[in-house]
Amino acid sequence: MPRYGIAIDTTKCIGCNACRVACQNQNNLEPKGEFNKIVEKDRGVFPSFSKEFVPLQCNHCGQAPCQRVCPTGATYTAPEGVVLVNEKLCVGCKYCIEACPYKMRTIDHRSGVVVKCKMCIEMVREGGVPACVSTCPTQVRIFGDLDDPYSEISRFVAKHRAQPLRADLNTGPQIYYKRS
Amino acid sequence: MPESAWGWLIVSYLFLAGAGAGAFVSAVACDLLAPDWSKSLARAGALVSGPLVIIGTACLVLDLEAGFWEPWRQIYLTRNLHSMITWGVLILSAFIPVALLYGAAVGEISFIGRMAKKYVVVIEAVGSVLAVCTAGYTGVLIAVVNGVPFWNTPLMPVLFTASAMSTGLAISMIAAAINDITTIRTLSNFALGHVIFIAIEAVVLALFVFMSMTRSVEAASSAMMLVSGSLSPYFWALVVVMGILVPFVLSIVEYYQYGEMPKTLVVGADVLVLVGGMSLRALIIFSGQPPQIV
Repeated sequence: MPRYGIAIDTTKCIGCNACRVACQNQNNLEPKGEFNKIVEKDRGVFPSFSKEFVPLQCNHCGQAPCQRVCPTGATYTAPEGVVLVNEKLCVGCKYCIEACPYKMRTIDHRSGVVVKCKMCIEMVREGGVPACVSTCPTQVRIFGDLDDPYSEISRFVAKHRAQPLRADLNTGPQIYYKRS
Repeated sequence: MPESAWGWLIVSYLFLAGAGAGAFVSAVACDLLAPDWSKSLARAGALVSGPLVIIGTACLVLDLEAGFWEPWRQIYLTRNLHSMITWGVLILSAFIPVALLYGAAVGEISFIGRMAKKYVVVIEAVGSVLAVCTAGYTGVLIAVVNGVPFWNTPLMPVLFTASAMSTGLAISMIAAAINDITTIRTLSNFALGHVIFIAIEAVVLALFVFMSMTRSVEAASSAMMLVSGSLSPYFWALVVVMGILVPFVLSIVEYYQYGEMPKTLVVGADVLVLVGGMSLRALIIFSGQPPQIV
């Protein structure tokens, strides 16, 4: 079974938000709802100054805090290492939203259940890639199997020493970042 | 103010469950340890404890979304024993009937109460354990949350339990005064209890704030928000002055001027303790900040 992840090259990101809109279309979200977003980070001080666009989304943590705190067991990890929500079990207590250090979960007030990035698992199981990956005009994201040493993502992560965000929080994130 | 997924309903729940548990413990303490003149307080505490926790639990259910519109989903709430909410559901399910039974027994309400009166010591023992679990659990609930470093400390349940005990005693005293204003003279006997609980709460709160300053960047930023930032007027006025300093001084005066203090000041000190307890929980929830990610 593969262990899916995404590698993100922030040096290529131009902050166009195409990934965010593609995700909203794919998941039929409300205009304010978002499973991914781009935050701007100031780096350095003048005259050595730059602005970095950092695309954020669910990190599909190997030891997901949201899954640990979910009282109903609605949050589960699929065999592919993707953290998903069983919407039939969710009561909307929002404990998972509080527990997520990356604050990447949101509640859909229409259905009353917590929703999140699914890494477009239906498309992926049919051989496709997530919408945010395929839509990116500058090809910031690389999707693939982290357990396959010859996959594009594994070679990218190894070559650039890409790191997850806040690996020190010990949640085992599966989204890797090349940031310089 | 950072956005929290939880709002006033959860704050009210944390406060009411704590106060209900505290009222139970103070009623048991009065019934077992103090002589006859304390029976009015024991009675008041026993009668308010169950209803308070029930109202708190109702706030919790109102805060649910899918589980509120489709209540049968709540049956799933005990499926994951790694979750503190699961433990909370179990603890509340056990504590609420015991607290109601205690109220019925002490108030001798219906034949159930008269029957339960024979086993009142058993109810007191089991209920006290469950009450401490209820009060402590409200702290553990937020202490285990990775998403907010400010809450992520073992001091959290200690602080909430200390606050639960002082708010519980305060609400029992108010209930006793409402029930029979002439008992207010005897309430001065419990001023010392107030002094002790408020002192413990103050020490734990000070430890919590000071240790948060060095615990992590995010915890320090939350603590600074309370001490000198955007929430500081509320923190100093509502929690420190109204919730701790004024009732502390009033309780000491009350203790030495046994039965001579004006009724408004006796009840006023108790109301201030409640304001402080509610504000403390609101400020801790609303000052929580997620880790810095990028």
